[in-house]
Amino acid sequence: MNSKKKMFMYGGVIGLAAAILMKFGNPGNMGMCIACFWRDIAGALGLHRAAVVQYIRPEIIGIVFGAFIVSYLTGDFKTRGGSSPLTRFILGFFLMIGALVFLGCPLRMIIRLANGDLNALVALAGYIVGIFIGVQFLKKGYTLGKNYEQAKIAGFLFPIFALVLLIFLVIKPAFILFSTEGPGSMGAPVILSLILGGVVGVALQRSRICTAGGIRDMILIKDSHFLWGILGIFAFTLIGNLILNFEKINIGFVGQPIGHNDFLFNFLGMALVGLCSVLLGGCPIRQTILASQGDTDAGVTVFGLIVGAAFAHNFGMAASGNGVPTNGKIGVIIGIVFVLIIAYSVVADQKNKATKKSKEVSANV
Amino acid sequence: MSEKYCVITFDTVQQSLVFEKHLIENEIAVKLMPVPRQLSSSCGTAAYVDCKDKEKIQSLCKESSILFDEFHELYQDKKNMWFLNHLKK
Repeated sequence: MNSKKKMFMYGGVIGLAAAILMKFGNPGNMGMCIACFWRDIAGALGLHRAAVVQYIRPEIIGIVFGAFIVSYLTGDFKTRGGSSPLTRFILGFFLMIGALVFLGCPLRMIIRLANGDLNALVALAGYIVGIFIGVQFLKKGYTLGKNYEQAKIAGFLFPIFALVLLIFLVIKPAFILFSTEGPGSMGAPVILSLILGGVVGVALQRSRICTAGGIRDMILIKDSHFLWGILGIFAFTLIGNLILNFEKINIGFVGQPIGHNDFLFNFLGMALVGLCSVLLGGCPIRQTILASQGDTDAGVTVFGLIVGAAFAHNFGMAASGNGVPTNGKIGVIIGIVFVLIIAYSVVADQKNKATKKSKEVSANV
Repeated sequence: MSEKYCVITFDTVQQSLVFEKHLIENEIAVKLMPVPRQLSSSCGTAAYVDCKDKEKIQSLCKESSILFDEFHELYQDKKNMWFLNHLKK
């Protein structure tokens, strides 16, 4: 099987898992959504008090364990970090603001599209524009710097966090909040979610699928390798939905589950997600997988996502089926401006360093 | 029989772009590509180069302070552990 077919099939595994999880109880078009699931976990931990989105999503635990175990067995697990962790945290924070204004991460955007939600098409256009802008910064010298080997224990902290979440999910202590209504109360059986999450984690770790990486490579180096994974997710979610969730397919802009049709902020929200993803070197799925295989910078990014989700709800920025609140619109605009300033400052700093270096070289000559 | 090919990996995407620019300026064949799976679990970019240019590339990088991670000479390899082979497909 050639590499593009493999990527397509790996994507297919993720797409099928999403369709199956929706069939067995996950909220509409939310068979898989990394941003929503981390947001639900933030709610379950009491970091925000939006009562309808609080649940320790077993899929996330499965994904982390799947990626951790397979990376450990294959030698991919490497504890590395130290590449601008605070900047990554902030980028993760704003990425989540953008995602919760659109109501989904790039993965859910593909899943929404595969079920006929055309708002996701507007969001996809925004996502591509965000990635395109990010690529321009890469071309001008943007980098968060290289990472370094760290003490091995640091790499295990993220999988341990997932283990703690699993313990909370099983023993349900009083301080962990579980929604009794709304999307947070809807979920496939825990065992099924854990198993399919694990399968998805393995597929993502082996394939390295990244929604931002796929589009970035098409723009930057004209290579479609990772894009085939995205196409596989779309195609198999569509096939899975045609077989398992046919009655829920709804082609159009209105009446979509957990989605709104504010075109401008669907576009801008995902533009912010695309921009942050390129500047981080990966979308939320990819960050979760990297964190599971020892990348502590990605772990910091995921905690940025979690805190971003908490603030999105605490500050009334998160959208709902009724639309985008004013705070959400302000949050996305501040996010875009702030992230552009970060990117511009990094580029300017790199240029200064290069000028200084060339002056030193000519002085030595 | 397996074929040899050469790939250069980088610590950051930005390093690969700088590398590509300098090689093109010096008329050395180069093509950026996703990092081959057998080299890394990262989703960054690597550079595919002609193995015959190895020394030329190394001296150019040294002279111009161009950073890269490693120069890899790749062949197709096969592992005996059936379950890991399956996972790596």
